[in-house]
Amino acid sequence: MVKKLSFSLVLLIMVFSQVQAKDAYERHCVGCHKELPTSLQRMFMHYLVVYSGEKNVKAGLKHYLKYPLKEISVMSDLFIDSYGIKKKTLLSDSQIDEVLDIYWNKFKVIDKLK
Amino acid sequence: MLVSKNKATNSWLKSEKKSLLRFLTLYVAMVLFAIMLLSLYYYQSQEKLMLAEQRATLTKYAYIQTKRLKVLHHFFDERTEYPRDPRFRSAIYDLEYTKIFSLLENEDIRFDEEIYISEGYIHFVKSLDDFYLGTKYLIIEVEDSGAWRGEIWKNIIGYGLFGFFFFMLFGLYLAKLFLKPMRDSIVLLDRFIKDTTHELNTPLSAILANIEMMDKDVMVEKNRTKLSRINIAAKTVSILYQDLTYLTLEQEKDTHEEKINIKALIYDRAEYFTILGESKQLECSLDLEEASIIGDRRKLTRVIDNLISNAIKYNKRKGTVGIKLREGSLVIWDTGIGINEEKIPFMFDRYMRFNQSEGGFGLGLSIVKKILDDYHISIEVESEEGKGTRMILKW
Repeated sequence: MVKKLSFSLVLLIMVFSQVQAKDAYERHCVGCHKELPTSLQRMFMHYLVVYSGEKNVKAGLKHYLKYPLKEISVMSDLFIDSYGIKKKTLLSDSQIDEVLDIYWNKFKVIDKLK
Repeated sequence: MLVSKNKATNSWLKSEKKSLLRFLTLYVAMVLFAIMLLSLYYYQSQEKLMLAEQRATLTKYAYIQTKRLKVLHHFFDERTEYPRDPRFRSAIYDLEYTKIFSLLENEDIRFDEEIYISEGYIHFVKSLDDFYLGTKYLIIEVEDSGAWRGEIWKNIIGYGLFGFFFFMLFGLYLAKLFLKPMRDSIVLLDRFIKDTTHELNTPLSAILANIEMMDKDVMVEKNRTKLSRINIAAKTVSILYQDLTYLTLEQEKDTHEEKINIKALIYDRAEYFTILGESKQLECSLDLEEASIIGDRRKLTRVIDNLISNAIKYNKRKGTVGIKLREGSLVIWDTGIGINEEKIPFMFDRYMRFNQSEGGFGLGLSIVKKILDDYHISIEVESEEGKGTRMILKW
């Protein structure tokens, strides 16, 4: 009995530490987006071609996460028709900002060109 | 109108030369300013022309580079090598003017201008509609050879010099044209004064000589007073005549330098003015010691005459005129109306008169100053209104 309890506790700690090891972006974004055919990298490039600068891109993304609409989506009509519009985010403003900072730093073009 | 030119006219025409010089200075400044303004306008228009020619080429380069960016955008981040071209260098900036990537030699970018020259490089700023790789501004850079500048400078210097000399000749012609009426008037006035002065001499000499010759002892008192008044008036006109003669004729004459006994000269002139002094019942105080100076007798006589004449003219009735002579200094003082301290610096200016009740043209003291300056004799004026004036000469 004691052995079973100890095993369960170790398992719980392992699962919890695994969850903590992922950053906010991976926790809140990657899970759903890995099901889609277009990568987050490509989507980033879609935002970049429309919004250009860091502040502008983040502001555009934040607005879309909070108020998702087909009309303001940067994705193609084919994509929207196939996969629809995402649901309105449940994340707080600070959580969205944290996620977007990670997203920008991960895929930004600046410093990557040679 | 044909008016002959002579030495006296020359001295009058100094003012004309001064006016001409002032006009030409102003004219040269204006011509230079106009040429500089035109040169600047020409330079800027030529620069714009050169940039307009460059714009076509740079627009083509920008189009090519945009297409390359589009390709890179779609293959990012499998491909990360920024597209290069041997014909030009380029840079990309985002909407927030943040540099994404740059190959430029000169990083001084003016986003508000489409095409410009900066530190030897021509920059063409292309604003993109689709922000490939986040690019809002694509900057194309080529070197500015500067060959066009050489041609422009050559034109500016060549045409500028030609224009300058042309306008200078035109200005000189204009100045002569505008100053001609003034010149003719001056010459005419000068000739009139000279002729009038000459014509005054004979009657004035006759009046003075006849007054001297008259036997006053046989005259009744009433006639003697009348004769005395005639004598005073004639001598006043005589002083004026001598001043005018000095201005129009004598100052051009050669000077005869000699050692002059000033004491004797002052006695002589004081005697001449006795009748004028008596008319105002003035007392004469002479304190003379032996003194001499090297100079022209006629000129120094003009100095002493004018100073004594003023001391009498601007004196009160029953006042005193004093002359004190020492070796190296002469003081002529009076107990007259005096002169305001603020006006003293202007009292030697020609035609300057502070008292309209007395006659004259305001020539006397300007002649005095000119002669004293010629002989390096200093003159100091001490005056108090209502109390009198002291003219102190030192040599």
